[in-house]
Amino acid sequence: MIDSSYLMPCLVVFALLCGLRARIDVYDAFVRGAKEGLLTLLEMTPYLCAALTATALLRQTGVMDALTNLLSPLLAHLSIPDAAAGVVLLRPLSGSAALAAVRDVIAQTGADSRAARFSCVISGASETIFFTGSLYMGAAGIRKAGYTIAAAMIAYMAGILAAAICV
Amino acid sequence: MNHVFCAMLLIGMLAAVMGGDLSGAQTALFSGGGEAVSFCLSMAGAYAFFGGLLGVLRESGVTDALARGMRKPLARLFCFERGEEAALDDICVNLAADLLGMGGAATPAGLRAMRTMAAAGGDTGRLSDAMGLFLVLNMCSVQMLPTTMIAIRAQHGSKSPADIVLPTLLATLASGLTGIALCKFFASRSKMHD
Repeated sequence: MIDSSYLMPCLVVFALLCGLRARIDVYDAFVRGAKEGLLTLLEMTPYLCAALTATALLRQTGVMDALTNLLSPLLAHLSIPDAAAGVVLLRPLSGSAALAAVRDVIAQTGADSRAARFSCVISGASETIFFTGSLYMGAAGIRKAGYTIAAAMIAYMAGILAAAICV
Repeated sequence: MNHVFCAMLLIGMLAAVMGGDLSGAQTALFSGGGEAVSFCLSMAGAYAFFGGLLGVLRESGVTDALARGMRKPLARLFCFERGEEAALDDICVNLAADLLGMGGAATPAGLRAMRTMAAAGGDTGRLSDAMGLFLVLNMCSVQMLPTTMIAIRAQHGSKSPADIVLPTLLATLASGLTGIALCKFFASRSKMHD
């Protein structure tokens, strides 16, 4: 197994070398990019407020537990950790709700638990299917999604199965 | 998202009334937003760092180089109809930016590509094979570097926050390849019906 702690140093050195080779002002480029990243986060915050309010309510009132218990036999069959059920269900619907759910899983089971790692892999490897679909179809004036939503959902499930095997 | 949000709140309130835990529900409603704000603050450093790193990569021309490298294989993968190949550049930029985890740069190019392909088909609102494949690839999100997920794990005391990179790559590959295969299958099936 490759030691993943080398990844970040390698990435930083790689970016530096690319910047020096292209003779750009690395410092300026970093600052501009950092600003962009912070603005993205700022724009995301209200959405995350809404999502965390909703998931906190569902967790407090026991709805989340009931849902997990309901799905638990199916999840066990696919060797998906119970705690990650919320992430799996919310990911195709909303990026911020899924991120809120990932945060919950990490807060409850620790950042290195299988459930937490599985949740992160699922979130990182997929996209808000319905939002992206409507955005792109809207841009092209397409009214009928045809097979695309079904194909994307099946592909999402393939991703989940792959994650269940390799996490 | 509107429906999801309303449904979540409605179900939560109903469950609170039925379960009799009204004060707990109230606390949850008020604490959720606060948790979100402190969560975003705790992630701010990582977002700035990854944003800066990706900014250096972008301005060094790495995204463009990746987009150029993907041009030939993508031209083969997409079965363009007449006029649709004008969208190839935007498709390459969109997928390259997606791969590097630069969602902000990916979306404008992606929307432009969709509009170009729609215009090539005469803006009839019909979904061509190339448009379908592009749409599904974007809904699958092919990503090499899950920066937000690495950041969130680092922030919460993971011993090796980046050890999800390889599994994420495998999972995204599995879903991406499945998406491509399904698109090709549905496209060939619709041709047989014609």
